[in-house]
Amino acid sequence: MLITNPINAFELVFPIMEVFHIAGFAVAIGVTAAVDFRILGLVPLQQTPSQLAKSTGFWMLGGLLVAIFSGFELYTSDPDMYYTNWSFLIKMACLIVAIVLNYTIHRKVVQEDGSSGGAKLVACISLLLWGAVIFGGIFIAFIRGGL
Amino acid sequence: MLLSAAIWLQNIGLMRALRESDRGYETLLALHVSCIALFAAMILLTDLRLLHLAPRGYSVSDIVDQLRVPKRIGFLCVAACGFLMFGMKAEEYYLNIFFRIKVLLFGMVAVHALVFRPRVYNRVADLEGSAAPPLRAKAAAALSLLLWFGIVCAGRGIGYIHPPPFSHHFVLAQATRTPLDSSGDDAANMLTSDSTHSLRNEKGAHNADH
Repeated sequence: MLITNPINAFELVFPIMEVFHIAGFAVAIGVTAAVDFRILGLVPLQQTPSQLAKSTGFWMLGGLLVAIFSGFELYTSDPDMYYTNWSFLIKMACLIVAIVLNYTIHRKVVQEDGSSGGAKLVACISLLLWGAVIFGGIFIAFIRGGL
Repeated sequence: MLLSAAIWLQNIGLMRALRESDRGYETLLALHVSCIALFAAMILLTDLRLLHLAPRGYSVSDIVDQLRVPKRIGFLCVAACGFLMFGMKAEEYYLNIFFRIKVLLFGMVAVHALVFRPRVYNRVADLEGSAAPPLRAKAAAALSLLLWFGIVCAGRGIGYIHPPPFSHHFVLAQATRTPLDSSGDDAANMLTSDSTHSLRNEKGAHNADH
């Protein structure tokens, strides 16, 4: 028996999922960026990067989980289109690298409250990767074809 | 009159150049969303602290006062990108019901600021010492989060509305000057008839159709 994907069966499901996808990413990327800006000395907070990351860690993870779950739902609406879309593939590559970086090198730098050149470089790479995730996501709708 | 102003705006040199540039709109949209993420973090940290949810270890005034300037810079970046995007296709935005909802929500944000800034955000020192923030602080934070989430929803909804077929004065203006006085009536008809039926499920990419 064929079961219709709810995301394709009801007109409103896709836009609702998209809103949660965007909101989830906004929260996750936003709080990560706040920590990165703190490392770079651009946000004048008294809290150290580790204190800021600790107090916002739940929201970063929560936002990321919402974004990933809703993103997977969006992907199932038309897997062929996404799978062959260059922008989507770049977004996924950047997302994986950004997540791995965030929970490895980035975490180490944050916990050490680093403000050295190396720490700032990691913060810049983190910002660039998350920015690329957003750009990749936006351009999915504007790029026809790919592979 | 507003429609005429929108058509005038989208026909000025800067907006025309942006519209005719390769990937100009998409790039601005991506920048707009990137800035929203940064701005959202500032809003979130402030409001979550007022709601006593995070980051709990620090005083309210630390969070609210120190994030004030970054928040304003973030808002300016979001608004600048948003204004340029609006200017590129001002007529379409003007006719878009979700854009109108978004503008209405911005108006409510302004009212929220007028009401709560003197009572909460500018008096955060009064909130120190109490075990939990007072009700007015929690109401201000909850309303703020609700309004900004509504703005994100409305912003995303803009992409799901078909632009009415006559809403291309930037194209028509180059060929033949179309009288603007009749377009206002057409616009009103389209706004009520088309917008209620044109919600579609095509990855919200109406902008990619142009």
